[in-house]
Amino acid sequence: MSNQRIWHLVALLVVLSMIAGACAPAPTPTPAPPAAQPEPTKAPEQPKAPQEFIFGVVLVGPYNDHGWSEAHYMGAKYAEERIPGAKMIYVDNLNPGAKPGVTVPQVVDDLISKGAKIIFTTSDDFKDGTLEAAKKNPNVPLVNVSGDHAWKEGKDYQAPSNLSNFMGRMEYGKMIAGCAAALTTQTGKLGYLGPLINDETRRLAAAAYLGAKYCWTTYAKKDPADLKFKVTWIGFWFNIPGQTLDPTKVANDFYNSGYDVVLSGIDTTEALVEAGKLAKAGKKVWAVQYDYEEGCKEAPEVCLGVPYFNWGPAYLKALKLVQEGKWTQYWDWNGPDWKDLNNRDTSAVGFVKGAGLSKEAAANVDDFIKKLGDGSVNLFKGPLKFQDGSVYLKDGEVATDLQIWYLPQLLEGMEGPSKS
Amino acid sequence: MSRAADWGLRIAGIGAALLLVTLILAALGTSPAQAFRLIWDGAVGSPAKFAYVLTAWAPVLLCAAGLLLTFAAGLWNIGIEGQVVMGAIFVTGMLRLTQDVLPPAAALFLAALAGIVGGALWAALAGVLRLYGQVNEIFGGLGLNFIAGSLTVYLVLGPWKRAGIGSTSGTQPFPPKLWLPPILPGINVSLVEIVVGLAAIVLVCLALRGTYFGLRLKAIGKNLRSAFLLGVPTERHMLAAFALCGALAGLAGWVLVVGTSSRHQLFPLISGGYGFLGILVVLLANLNALWSIPISLFFAAISMGSLQLALQAQLDSSLGGVIQGLLVLAVLIVGGIRSRLAAASSERTARSR
Amino acid sequence: MRVELREIHKRFGSVHANNGITLKVTPGTIHGLLGENGAGKSTLMKILNGFIAADSGEILLDGKPVTMTSPAQAVALGVGMLYQDPLDFPALTVLDNFVLGCSPALVPDRRRARRDLRDLCSQFDFTLDPDAHVSDLSIGERQQLEIVRLLWLGARTLVLDEPTTAISAQQRDKLFVALRKLAEGGKSVIFVSHKLEEVETLCDEVTVLSRGRVTGHAQQPYSTEKLVQMMFGQDIPRVRRQVQLVTTAEPLLRLERVTVSDWRLEIRNLNLDVMPGEVIGMAGLEGSGQLLLLQACCGLRPPTSGRIWLAGKDVTGQSYHRLRAAGVAYMPAGRLEEGLIADMTLTEHLALAEYQGGFFVDWPQAAQSAARGIERYHIKGQPTSRVEELSGGNQQRTLLALLPSQLQLLLMEHPTRGLDVESAEHIWGLLLERTQQGTAIIFLSSDLDELLDRSDRILVFFGGRVSAPLNARQINVEQLGELIGGKGFGGGGADESRG
Repeated sequence: MSNQRIWHLVALLVVLSMIAGACAPAPTPTPAPPAAQPEPTKAPEQPKAPQEFIFGVVLVGPYNDHGWSEAHYMGAKYAEERIPGAKMIYVDNLNPGAKPGVTVPQVVDDLISKGAKIIFTTSDDFKDGTLEAAKKNPNVPLVNVSGDHAWKEGKDYQAPSNLSNFMGRMEYGKMIAGCAAALTTQTGKLGYLGPLINDETRRLAAAAYLGAKYCWTTYAKKDPADLKFKVTWIGFWFNIPGQTLDPTKVANDFYNSGYDVVLSGIDTTEALVEAGKLAKAGKKVWAVQYDYEEGCKEAPEVCLGVPYFNWGPAYLKALKLVQEGKWTQYWDWNGPDWKDLNNRDTSAVGFVKGAGLSKEAAANVDDFIKKLGDGSVNLFKGPLKFQDGSVYLKDGEVATDLQIWYLPQLLEGMEGPSKS
Repeated sequence: MSRAADWGLRIAGIGAALLLVTLILAALGTSPAQAFRLIWDGAVGSPAKFAYVLTAWAPVLLCAAGLLLTFAAGLWNIGIEGQVVMGAIFVTGMLRLTQDVLPPAAALFLAALAGIVGGALWAALAGVLRLYGQVNEIFGGLGLNFIAGSLTVYLVLGPWKRAGIGSTSGTQPFPPKLWLPPILPGINVSLVEIVVGLAAIVLVCLALRGTYFGLRLKAIGKNLRSAFLLGVPTERHMLAAFALCGALAGLAGWVLVVGTSSRHQLFPLISGGYGFLGILVVLLANLNALWSIPISLFFAAISMGSLQLALQAQLDSSLGGVIQGLLVLAVLIVGGIRSRLAAASSERTARSR
Repeated sequence: MRVELREIHKRFGSVHANNGITLKVTPGTIHGLLGENGAGKSTLMKILNGFIAADSGEILLDGKPVTMTSPAQAVALGVGMLYQDPLDFPALTVLDNFVLGCSPALVPDRRRARRDLRDLCSQFDFTLDPDAHVSDLSIGERQQLEIVRLLWLGARTLVLDEPTTAISAQQRDKLFVALRKLAEGGKSVIFVSHKLEEVETLCDEVTVLSRGRVTGHAQQPYSTEKLVQMMFGQDIPRVRRQVQLVTTAEPLLRLERVTVSDWRLEIRNLNLDVMPGEVIGMAGLEGSGQLLLLQACCGLRPPTSGRIWLAGKDVTGQSYHRLRAAGVAYMPAGRLEEGLIADMTLTEHLALAEYQGGFFVDWPQAAQSAARGIERYHIKGQPTSRVEELSGGNQQRTLLALLPSQLQLLLMEHPTRGLDVESAEHIWGLLLERTQQGTAIIFLSSDLDELLDRSDRILVFFGGRVSAPLNARQINVEQLGELIGGKGFGGGGADESRG
């Protein structure tokens, strides 16, 4: 009899933990605004609307993560609004933590069966799966954001013709971020909350460092040797309990060991949130957000700014190519519009200064942006050394796209592993 | 209690669970009918979709088959998730060794054996902890799950990392020659997965019904002390139940690495909750092997079908997990009611007669 | 409280367990309900207690008709019942069990409960430690706990179902004294038993049941002969075992300075030779060490020192299963707790017990074995019956049917507990057949007549100390009773032998 009691009790616990587990990783499923159009299922065909043009988006995190995935979501909405009849369908939170057992090819199949004419897979984590899906569905254009399978000159060119890539030149955004951090730090110690280690994350961390070093020496007039720049990688783009380091803890460790500015390189907002909490407790700390234009909202007073992706124009281009029947494979690495960094229609990469940035520092940051824009400053220019002391760029040598994209190591002066 | 009343009670339980889900959906502002239809369409709307359901079915079947053995012996093998993971680790290790030197079929076969060994060892460890370390298998299992997960992260980031990349997202995917071939082009599930899963559960069913091993496991599960006194080598049988369950879980790990629609790589969380799903299946089936077959298919369908909730209704797909959990909860509650009624009516047979 | 049952009918399938039973219990009396196993006594009492519902008939308490729907409700109405198998929670303490079932308050007032428990215990001369775990209590003590608990909950009528089957003579006497006190205090007691002597000594009135009907009614003073006739329709002669000790050069079992202990008791340096075919009875208050010896002999509890020889071979420290294979069988008393497996059928039990190797179960053969066992041991059940559906006596018979056929040594706890006289006689007949083939039997019992009638020699246990083997022919009940009470063991027995 008592056996049975235990049985029922434990069964109950298992079930409850399953329910909890199922609910935990996902954000509250607030009925999203997007379905503004009449119920899609009720009205499969809308006679008066122009030809319906469905496109699919696959997001790695929640669509409202205030980071990478939300930036994509907004970019896709931007394009949706500008193309008559366009309609986005999306799957978010596609990662083993939230949707175990679901693969990219499976989701792509599903989106195609829903009528998607082109599908964007918006994570480096989807690289392999997108390639597999592209091969399986040769007639459906696919875009893997941040990938290089479609870069003919790149090291990993193997995409079929229906697979393209685009990416923003976030190096510039990261340089500006690094600059803002260097002009704010009082301890001279900058922490970089890195996601996982790959070509992309190495070059972005390096760019942040280069920007920081430049502004540290040029505007703050300090010795580059006094600038500490440490990278800690958590292992994935965002926190997956048990699988990655906990970014909250990493950020706290930074702040508690004298790093007063943390630059976020991950998809989510932990660094800024923690900085906000510590600042409320009287600590002088700041953070630089990443990915999403409105990222500073979580804790504006300690936010130095946010380098963000403005994906809208890139989505628009891809959709237009397909709609007009002009699709060919391409690989785009879109830069900022230096004339108007935050122009939604032209600039792929932007930077919004935060309330935590002092006026003086802000002026210097603006000056730095101007110099980057007019070409008078190019930070990927020699002499530059790798972390292990070997030469990256000889004196006066300007890095090619290949050299920047495939940055094999962190740079001299940066702390933290270059490889896992 | 009569059979009809028994089943009536069960159906009432399931009805209650569905009602609760309906209420939740309504509270979220979604039409429940639409949500259920989305799940249904998502699961069986097309042969391709159903193929994905079958993809999920195979590992759930394997886990359920193993768990039928441990549950029969009265053991809560919560460690099954870790056993799936350990199976997948062994499979990946074996494939890494053999993929370039052996023909694919041989490599796949050896990998299956490796998965079986890996899962069995990990489960046996939980058994040893229980029998000789006085560690309850539930807590031991949870600990071993965690260790298996950490080991995966370590392998993916360390010895088995992809060149130049430090991401936990997974090891280098295996080439298509090491993927189980699909039944038909476009139907992305292989016959092997389904056959292995079904064969496992049928064999377990036969073992429980017709063999001394099964009979003795049941005796242990119902009364350990009496079984021992009746001459059953209880420790050996409990260990065997653990090891066999782990072996089947390891085989599930194999399916998750080499299956047609898998990610073809080792990654953290590869077990994907299939082990826990197996526990729910077996509970819902009331430890009946044959019922586990349709129920696991049903659960796989809910898992896959509920993806449509996110896609079309902007609802979170974890609602599928909620539905599954509520179903089991309802059935357990019904089970409780039933055993109360049964206790009253079993007195009929009168200890006093 | 005046308790009246009118025309109670209850059918279980084809069995008419209660066939129009009418019973009246006068307040302030102890009313005996006498009958052989399966007469319908327990069914009737469970109906009175709300555990099962009658098919038809009426229950009146103090003249008012009531409908009993559950034991809890019965207690609320003042009817409390002690079951054959204790229904307490072994993992909890005495006090926890005491306060369980007192539903009104969420958080029980433990201090008050403790005081009440102590008061009730002293009233009846019970010695219950509130903080002891129930699993450590003897069945007799668990009964005492249940009695005070029911009284505390307000029971005015107490039903005891075969309360003396599992307790020592001393505890029985204590129980009887307590029951008389209760009756004197105006409470009604219904005493269910198949033991004539007990009913005769204890009860003011007796109702006799047989095969679901009332077959007689009697008041003090009783005529034993008449009661037996009411129960069985005929008198049963009791036969003492004819002693025919085989004396071979080699004992079947030899204990050499064996010391064995559990956490509270130690048997030290015991020497004993048991001859083939011999029957050794173990007498003593429950928990005096009899079980330790049984468990040491069958490998369940390895001795801390000394040696055990079986048929000339040193088997010290060998496992239960090895000894079982060597022909040593152990029959526990716990029935559904240890021995039988609830939710499994007789056939399944026999398949388990008679496992001879092989992979697939030969179900037809197992069913045949079950049918044989049913016939041989007069089990009222089918091969497909699950054991928890059997009555206590039939569970006991099932335990006997599960014993291996070829045995050297048979170790038994309470071999005939819960059986009526006729069945006990039958069982002992079968057991003694075994002894003629050389099987030795060591059994413990709290039934002194059984010990004296069936044993060749008797060991008396007292607080872990063991008497020299006594020739069962040369002592009588009174002498044995005195020994069990500690006479001849010197003072303070139990304490001295504590390890």
